[in-house]
Amino acid sequence: MSTSEIRMKKFLLQQLAATLFFAFFGAVYEAFGHGVYSYFMIYAFAFPLLMGVLPAVMQLIRGKAFDRVFLFFWTAAIASFSVGSVFRGVLDIYGTTNSLVVVYPVVGGILVLCALSCLLLRSRRLAFPRH
Amino acid sequence: MRKHMPAIAFRAALLAFTVFLALDTFVFSASYREAGEVNTAMFSVLSTESEAAEESAAESATAASVTKQRMLSGSRLAPGSRKKHGSGLSSDESAAGTDAESGATKNSSSLSAAAAASDTSYRDENVSITLTETEEYGTKIYVADVTLRSAAFLKTAFANNTYGKNVTANTSQIAQENNAVLAINGDYYGVQEKGYVIRNGVVYRGTAKGADVLCIYADGTMEVVSDRAYTAEELVQNGVWQAFSFGPALLEDGSVTVGENSEVGRAMTSNPRTAIGMIDANHFVFVVSDGRSSESEGLSLYELASFMKSLGVKTAYNLDGGGSSTMVFNGRVVNNPTTGGAIKERGVSDIVYI
Repeated sequence: MSTSEIRMKKFLLQQLAATLFFAFFGAVYEAFGHGVYSYFMIYAFAFPLLMGVLPAVMQLIRGKAFDRVFLFFWTAAIASFSVGSVFRGVLDIYGTTNSLVVVYPVVGGILVLCALSCLLLRSRRLAFPRH
Repeated sequence: MRKHMPAIAFRAALLAFTVFLALDTFVFSASYREAGEVNTAMFSVLSTESEAAEESAAESATAASVTKQRMLSGSRLAPGSRKKHGSGLSSDESAAGTDAESGATKNSSSLSAAAAASDTSYRDENVSITLTETEEYGTKIYVADVTLRSAAFLKTAFANNTYGKNVTANTSQIAQENNAVLAINGDYYGVQEKGYVIRNGVVYRGTAKGADVLCIYADGTMEVVSDRAYTAEELVQNGVWQAFSFGPALLEDGSVTVGENSEVGRAMTSNPRTAIGMIDANHFVFVVSDGRSSESEGLSLYELASFMKSLGVKTAYNLDGGGSSTMVFNGRVVNNPTTGGAIKERGVSDIVYI
């Protein structure tokens, strides 16, 4: 098994664990929320699922792997979005607000841009290899 | 190890920021302003207006055509104010407003020596309160029927007499500090960053959040307006004595304004509730329901609205509910507030009291 394949499988397992954790956490939190709910809490698991598990599975099926630097930024973005979503859910259910919660999606967005830039640079490097 | 450093550093930063945010939201308290200030200018305006109306009425006996014109111009509080403000207010009522103005900061003195109080009622020359307990929708509901000589007797107070963030105290404690005969929890303004906070005629927060605001006017009427339509200062100029930002409105013009399934965004099920409503000018009802217990399921907003409609309420507004829902009468907590599964009071930012 190559290093990149090991990296991808590790990434997949991490994101799968994160998906299950956020789904379980949201369900438990909602169960004790006296019927007060928040979509941010309920769907927090969607970030690791859609941004982590699905791309990882697709890459593994295609026999390809993500770049290590890309994976760092991408994983950090997923963490930022997920934690931000859960925290927003907690605020909603408690019935309060905090304007600083906007930091999570902003940081997440910046990290996604960084990750995509890595991907772009890598593909350009591959297209125009140095001799 | 070195190649994992950026990931570890990011996770540590994310965790630190989240902990800070949690503390900032739920723990760190900040005092923005000392409370206790009372602005009763709107009552003075009412008084002047009432005198003017009486003068006009006297003149009408001799010069009917001239008086008619004066009455029309005298029926407004101030430019831009609501038409109904001047309606039906006797000179006695407006005098009570200015009386209450002087006694506003010394509540104990406003409790007349001739006051008659029992476990379920209170009466003096300015205030009449009747407390009833009923059971509807499998829930105990406590209703305080309040008739006032002037809206100046319907007051509000902050926890620790301080306007701030995360400054809380139990409803019963705030009620005791203010010598309240009757008190219910308010809108818990302290956990919100936006939404008008106008208390005892003073603007504490004038940031709109695009929601319905409950306005209690100096003439003893109540109205729900959008905070996009008026600034907080305009509301005070229009005679608003108290304003609350929670909601939603339950009844307007005697009609239920919440749907059977269209609950307030975040609360889909039955819960303890607190609401305030107006039957007529200076005739209010304070309603608190139990919930989250084996004895009482709690009310949905629609059930609460329907119940208040059955009381003859024309305008009603939902205040902070859940663990905050508390009613205190003559120093005694009359409902069963639930906090963390136990029957005990939860700290709140503010109360509405008589």
